[in-house]
Amino acid sequence: MRSRRFFLFLQKDLRELLASRACWILLIIIGPLVGHGFISAVNLYAEASGIAGGPAALSQGLTTLDGILVPTFGAYDLAATLLFPFVAIRLIASEKESGAWKLLMQSPASILEMLAAKAAALLTGWIIAWIPGLIALALWSSYGGHIYAPECMNLLLGHLLRVGISAGLAVAAAAIMPGAANAAIVTLAFTLGTWALEFIAAGRGGLLQQIASFTPTAALRSFEQGQLRLSTLLAICIFTIAGFFIASVWLNIGLRTRQHLQRTIAIAAILIIVVIPAANVRAAWDLSEDRRNSFSAADEAALAQIRQSLHVTVYLAAEDPRLMDLDRNILSKLRRILPQIEVEYASQSRSGLFESGNHYGEVWYEYQGQRMMSRSTTEQIVLEIVYKLTGVSAPEAKTDSQFSGYPLAARPTGASLIFYAVWPVLIVFLWWFDSKGIR
Amino acid sequence: MQPISAEITAAHQSIDLLSARGVSKRFQSSVVLENVSFSVWEGEVLGLIGPNGAGKTTLFECLAGLIPVDAGEVQFRQQATVSRKNVLFYLPDGIRPWADQTVSWAVSFFEALYGRVSSDSAALLSALKLDHLLKRRIWMLSKGESKRLLLLLGLLTPQPILLADEPFDGLDLRQTKEVMALLRTHAAKGRTLFVSIHQLTDAARVCDRLVLLSAGRVVGEGTLDELSAKAGVTGGGLEEVFLALT
Repeated sequence: MRSRRFFLFLQKDLRELLASRACWILLIIIGPLVGHGFISAVNLYAEASGIAGGPAALSQGLTTLDGILVPTFGAYDLAATLLFPFVAIRLIASEKESGAWKLLMQSPASILEMLAAKAAALLTGWIIAWIPGLIALALWSSYGGHIYAPECMNLLLGHLLRVGISAGLAVAAAAIMPGAANAAIVTLAFTLGTWALEFIAAGRGGLLQQIASFTPTAALRSFEQGQLRLSTLLAICIFTIAGFFIASVWLNIGLRTRQHLQRTIAIAAILIIVVIPAANVRAAWDLSEDRRNSFSAADEAALAQIRQSLHVTVYLAAEDPRLMDLDRNILSKLRRILPQIEVEYASQSRSGLFESGNHYGEVWYEYQGQRMMSRSTTEQIVLEIVYKLTGVSAPEAKTDSQFSGYPLAARPTGASLIFYAVWPVLIVFLWWFDSKGIR
Repeated sequence: MQPISAEITAAHQSIDLLSARGVSKRFQSSVVLENVSFSVWEGEVLGLIGPNGAGKTTLFECLAGLIPVDAGEVQFRQQATVSRKNVLFYLPDGIRPWADQTVSWAVSFFEALYGRVSSDSAALLSALKLDHLLKRRIWMLSKGESKRLLLLLGLLTPQPILLADEPFDGLDLRQTKEVMALLRTHAAKGRTLFVSIHQLTDAARVCDRLVLLSAGRVVGEGTLDELSAKAGVTGGGLEEVFLALT
């Protein structure tokens, strides 16, 4: 009975999605957006692979993940940030504004049940919006391009979670705010806030940086790097679910404002209690084909013997490229392997240009009272220091095979026609077909 | 169309299906409902009348649980109602739900939601003269058509009490008479109806009893004869009673 009712509401919400101009506009725009990313990426990839006649430049750097998948699916990040929230807001706000919600509130279904149907409808809509991305993958394969399934699936998961946050936020805003326009402003303000947070927290370390690592864009970035971090996965799921729970509180129009606020505070408190341990879960998997987020298997086995806390003090400013190298090449990998690592960002400035301290540029490693310093951001040199400091024997030989890359000098044949012409025309035709009531 | 007789009303009198006891509601400093008490009897058509701004819609929304009351309680069969959605269904005035969908879809949605068979909705579609509008989008309906569609949706719901805010608003004379007849048929089948009506002639025609609301207070409750006696009006209609009591 309950599942039959769920599908009835799902069917209603899918029809409401189809009636939404925002949804059709998203579908029309997403084709050219994905197409532009894909065509540019394939052309650039071809040039780097030596299509002009020269040799492939650094072929080990030519990966499908960086070269094709991330730029192609980057369109979905844009859509999830700027277009999808309007679709989600409309699904709630139209029923609030038309009075339909007053009828639904009296139906046998609970508010959470109705919201679950809306979530399922939004998910269905988003998966339909993925069709251009999947077409791009099919085209890439048809050109002879290589796709490594784990990193591709991981990226898709990242985008799915990314849109989940957007949905949770938009649905909560639509439930709380009077009118769709107000909800849209709140949603965009929140997004801008997360961008500001990321900017401020960059290179600061500590709690602020940890919080910033769970903003939608930052969370997606780890998936774009081929990492699957359980903490990110859990935190995004918790934020998304919390958004829907908050929406369920505010959509219960029979409650007083005070009760709305009390329940929202209770949900926020539970969110904090749940998300803190979730955010500290260390489990992470490197799903990139080139194992960019991992040391060699031999090094990882050796580093796993380190049991005590390793303290790292970094005297590099947030915008110093060396800090980015250090973070990507060393610290993120160490964080995956070492159960206890503390990183302290000691620089006081953003750029480091006018840093007055004598230590600027140094990275200090401390283990059980012993300290060593290095200015290097190179994996081999830093690992040597870590081995010396911790007394762990460095592995004799590293047997991992070198990733050779996948150069491909192919032009994006047919892509322009599909993404810039066929897709928009097809969607406009379907929109017209639907609006004529031929369902 | 005559209301049910005084004898039938008296037979129902012992059964308070729904009762409001001391219901009060204020919006900021403005008192909208003050200590409102009355009863709805099983199987009757009860009319809620009152001047503009008397609090009729607020009272309905409080009864339906769509807005919280500040004081008082609503009882179903003399027990505090646990879940209003099992007891009553409220049809708001001035709404146009799912405007982009078709009439046919809205009817089949309610039919499936409340486990009705298609013959139920077919009969209502015919009675409310909506059967030729099935393919039409709801936003394209006239005010009267939209009102009849809402009534249809309300009559498809299974709750023992149906609250309807201005069910005849937007209907012409013939449609009003037809809808009154339909409502009386449903009341005769055991459904209790509580309707707010601003047209006093319509109210006198369709309702068994009336509740008069003025400035958020109940100023009279009973049959037209009882209200006339209370107002000291002899031989007058509901309009005279209304003016005397409000």
